[in-house]
Amino acid sequence: MPDCQSSGVLAGKSAVITGGGRGIGRAIAEQYIRAGASVVCCGRSNRPDGYPVEAHWLRADVSRMEDVQRLRSTVEQLFGRLSILVNNAGVQIEKTILETTDQDWQTLMGVNAFGVFACSRELIPLMHDGGVIINMGSISGKAADPGLAIYNASKAFVHGLTRSIAVDHGPGIRCNAIAPGWIMTEMADAAFSAAKDPERARQDALSRHPAGRFGSPSDIAELATWLASDAASFATGQCYALDGGLTATSPLNLDLE
Amino acid sequence: MNANRDHPLHGRIAVVTGGCGGIGRAICERLVREGARVYAADLVRQTHPEVKYLECDVTCEQSSIDLVQHIKSHHDRLDILVNAAGIEIEKTIEETTLDEWNRIFAINVTGTFLASKHAIALMRKTGGSIINFGSYDGFIADPKLAAYCATKGAVHALTRAMACDHGPENIRVNAICPGFIDTPMLKSFFGEGGDSERSWEAAREVHPIRCYGTPEDVANLVFWLASDEAGYATGQLWILDGGLTAQVQQMRL
Repeated sequence: MPDCQSSGVLAGKSAVITGGGRGIGRAIAEQYIRAGASVVCCGRSNRPDGYPVEAHWLRADVSRMEDVQRLRSTVEQLFGRLSILVNNAGVQIEKTILETTDQDWQTLMGVNAFGVFACSRELIPLMHDGGVIINMGSISGKAADPGLAIYNASKAFVHGLTRSIAVDHGPGIRCNAIAPGWIMTEMADAAFSAAKDPERARQDALSRHPAGRFGSPSDIAELATWLASDAASFATGQCYALDGGLTATSPLNLDLE
Repeated sequence: MNANRDHPLHGRIAVVTGGCGGIGRAICERLVREGARVYAADLVRQTHPEVKYLECDVTCEQSSIDLVQHIKSHHDRLDILVNAAGIEIEKTIEETTLDEWNRIFAINVTGTFLASKHAIALMRKTGGSIINFGSYDGFIADPKLAAYCATKGAVHALTRAMACDHGPENIRVNAICPGFIDTPMLKSFFGEGGDSERSWEAAREVHPIRCYGTPEDVANLVFWLASDEAGYATGQLWILDGGLTAQVQQMRL
């Protein structure tokens, strides 16, 4: 999608996007390339088919410190320094705490919590000329979604660490979180397909959004581009919800009952 | 202070504006039971026998001055002020007339300002606790309650400001932000007739705790905030909503 407004705003910048293979991460990678940045993306799988040729791809699992260190050496070799880190990699496990196993905890917290910590610790030292960190939080880190216990908690961790990084490493480094609402990814599609009446479920969900539509990965990419750009130079330490108004409205929607 | 274990508010003087309304009456009765001398300040008399009634229009400055003067001349102290007077207008901003807008702000915001402004001079003699009424609607919006949502947001900000200014004088200021409390105001919100029963049931099921609050639930928190047990609590917005705002909206999948 051509975007005149953002073209060139990240020219000369280097960026790392974790979980960059699909969904929101891939949309951010594509938008950053259009905005002029050089990007390194990583994910747990091989380079996805048809991935933008401008992007460097590294197979890496952010829950493993040795992989994160490999990511750091790759960035050092390619660019010698780093301007932007997007901690986007995340996993979701649909369980209450009673159903959650120790292994579930290791898997989810390994990526959603340890991964954000590890990438930030290893890559901040490469931000020689200052830098920007953007963490992927969630509206579920502010209020709970049922049956997503440690996912919700991991996103609250992300919001908390975002503030700490902003406080400890400002003014050189700005750090913000984005809290997406319902973004139409494969994950959301699957939820509707599984509904008893998929069309009704979709209408119900839509009517809870003052914006009248669901989000797309490119909506999140737009905000991630703005936050990474110099236009956002006073924005730090915040968690910005981007959810089409979902969390501004009461959960009681009488028109739907 | 003559506080004792059975009547922790013994010897305390309390004023509850809107003290004859759904939540106000429950607050007055609770404070009486805990040993306070309680005045219900309202437009119409409808009180428990042990609650004293004072006619008061919170939108009128002289009315607030007279109210505090009455308490001063009878007791020379005021320990607890509960700003519970409030109304709701079920309209979008386009439907809301300027008169309606001014009226809801006059009661919900100016009323809180006036009663507090004139009470503080008397309260600082002994220290005290002011309890304002915000709402969960001051954080997230219900449809067609635009002016109401705005007044409650104003009360939240005013609560913090008053707590900052008067904390050093040993006056604590907090707001209670109720969710859905079973009152005449709530019944009006759900409307009369046909579908209201179904809406009532459906809305209840959205609450994690699966029930509406009662005026007594709110009175429990008012009592705690008014008591010495809450001596370190000030400047806070206390959401009391059965978990309603703790969850993300649930789609019907």
